[in-house]
Amino acid sequence: MFHFNPQTVKKLQRFRQIKRGYYSFLALAGLLVLLIFGELLVNSRALIVSFEGELYFPTYAAFHPGTDFGLDYSYETNYRELKHQFASQGGDNWVLMPLVPYNPYENHAPGGIFTPLPPSTEMQHYLGTDTTSRDILARLFYGTRIALLFSLVFMASVYLIGISIGCAMGYFGGVFDLVFQRIIEIWSNIPFLYMVIIVFSVIPGSVSLPLRIAILLIVMVLFSWTGMTYYMRTETYKEKSRDYIAAARIIGASNSRIIFRHIMPNILSTLVTFMPFTIVGAISSITALDFLGFGLPVPTSSLGELLKQGTANLRTAPWIVISAFSTLVALLTLVTFIGEAIRESFDPKIFSIYQ
Amino acid sequence: MASAMTNPLLQVDNLNMYFPVREGLMLRAKTFNRAVDGVSLQINPGETLGLVGESGCGKSTLGRCIARLYKPSAGTIRFQGEDITHMSARALRPFRQNIQMIFQDPMESLNARHTVGDILAEPFIVQGIGDSAFRSKRVAELLNTVGLPARSATRYPFEFSGGQRQRIGIARAIALNPKLVICDEPVSALDVSIQSQILNLLVDLQSEFNLSYLFIAHDLAVVKHISDRVAVMYLGNIVETADSEIIYRDAKHPYTQSLIAAIPVPDPQRRAQRIIIQGDVPSAINPPTGCHFHPRCPRAEARCKAEKPVLRELGNTQFAACHLASG
Repeated sequence: MFHFNPQTVKKLQRFRQIKRGYYSFLALAGLLVLLIFGELLVNSRALIVSFEGELYFPTYAAFHPGTDFGLDYSYETNYRELKHQFASQGGDNWVLMPLVPYNPYENHAPGGIFTPLPPSTEMQHYLGTDTTSRDILARLFYGTRIALLFSLVFMASVYLIGISIGCAMGYFGGVFDLVFQRIIEIWSNIPFLYMVIIVFSVIPGSVSLPLRIAILLIVMVLFSWTGMTYYMRTETYKEKSRDYIAAARIIGASNSRIIFRHIMPNILSTLVTFMPFTIVGAISSITALDFLGFGLPVPTSSLGELLKQGTANLRTAPWIVISAFSTLVALLTLVTFIGEAIRESFDPKIFSIYQ
Repeated sequence: MASAMTNPLLQVDNLNMYFPVREGLMLRAKTFNRAVDGVSLQINPGETLGLVGESGCGKSTLGRCIARLYKPSAGTIRFQGEDITHMSARALRPFRQNIQMIFQDPMESLNARHTVGDILAEPFIVQGIGDSAFRSKRVAELLNTVGLPARSATRYPFEFSGGQRQRIGIARAIALNPKLVICDEPVSALDVSIQSQILNLLVDLQSEFNLSYLFIAHDLAVVKHISDRVAVMYLGNIVETADSEIIYRDAKHPYTQSLIAAIPVPDPQRRAQRIIIQGDVPSAINPPTGCHFHPRCPRAEARCKAEKPVLRELGNTQFAACHLASG
């Protein structure tokens, strides 16, 4: 059974008492759930279509050509128009659209000219549109989703590599440690931004979008794990020399058992305090890369790309930069608040496992 | 004394443990910390050997070499006639059931993230003994043996007092029915009132399970209570060894004499005849020439500075490494 050490329970209770961090955590967790099921909230596809007595749920389904709903075209149904059509016909047919009836890629230019439109509830562009007439709210929404998911996967990968190598360095010590320290010193001096530029100028244009995102992630992870090893290495050195490790060795425990059952649980509490700050770092750097144009490949929605558009059209379309900027600030503030609360509640000076 | 005829449980010959002092870019070892420098001793079945000495004299290192937590630099360790000095990690794992260890600070030696039940079941898991039902039964038995309630199994080490924690450490050490238990200052981190309880528990367990102890301490008074024989260590060497009652009555080495003179006697009328030795223990990296004790010895002569004394038998199984000692 999975049960917590009473000290961990105490730490979690203390975390709940720090209201600012706790509510930020709830807000972010709620946001993450909304983002994961984002297709139900922000989407050009209808939630439900009732057509001639039958119900359709197009959100997660394969695409429905217009002919499915008695329209005269075989490309994907425009559900917003379908809704108007059904409403004007006044029959039993009806369409239920999501809150924001646009997807982040479609160019919705009613006059046929791509130009940023100011926020308008009537058009259901609640935050306006960007320079190519895409809905800003939809772009922000999916941009936030990919930034958060990207940084979570980034964190998991960085920690996996950093912890494994750091622990091995600390545990085995000696020549292994020495060699890896030098490798890490050399590795961490390779300029990351140049590597990103070089890698993306080399990979061919035929590479698909998800693969490009994966490559970006891998490059970022490869140049970020080194920082983690410093902490893990010293923590492992410290724990390794304590008597409970000697006690484990003397009953015959193997190296892997000592690392995973004894050392890891004792150093992971330090790690938890790093997590939110790693996320903040990841979100900032992916946004910065997007801003510079070396980040997520177009047309992926991203905060950085919106910021770039916004700063370029500061006078003509200030709503772009305002919404992108406030989203970024809110996101980073939430994560930082959580990080502060975790650091406070896991403070080893309060809950020492030493005497 | 007759026991010397029987096969010893543990026989250590000329054991060296040198820790390299690595310096420079290539971490080449130019000098060595000679923590244990040519130690020989033996422990017979059912016997307790007390090992005393100041902090830093190498007594814990010696204990850890015997437990094969360290790989000795030179010399041999034989356990029941089998040479374990260079035993491979694979062979060592089942062998470890024979030699267990009790540590000084139970808070350090118990993993704070594991329950007492986990800690006591781990020896069986690691050695692959029994199923989970067997393990929980043995955990309950062990807790009972060391005088802790069975419900302790679900609790964590920090929920116990120092003495109770040391009982958990003892329970872990006897879990695998070892033949030799190395007690590395098992009571020096405890309150005086608790010390005697733990010592009595160790004595009881010894007769119940026919254990042999290597009892390491820096306090001769504690060792007196429990040991059959006593070995006194100074700077990586054993300077005197004798049966317990002899050494307390008739120590031959000036270092042992000064240690024994420092034992407090609960008699206000008694005039203390302290033999005060000056200075600190010299560095084991760069030990003094000749007898390592000569810079602090009240009786040192020119010979002591030049020539290193070896352990000489002075009769009655008493050995001392001193040029000036006589039987």
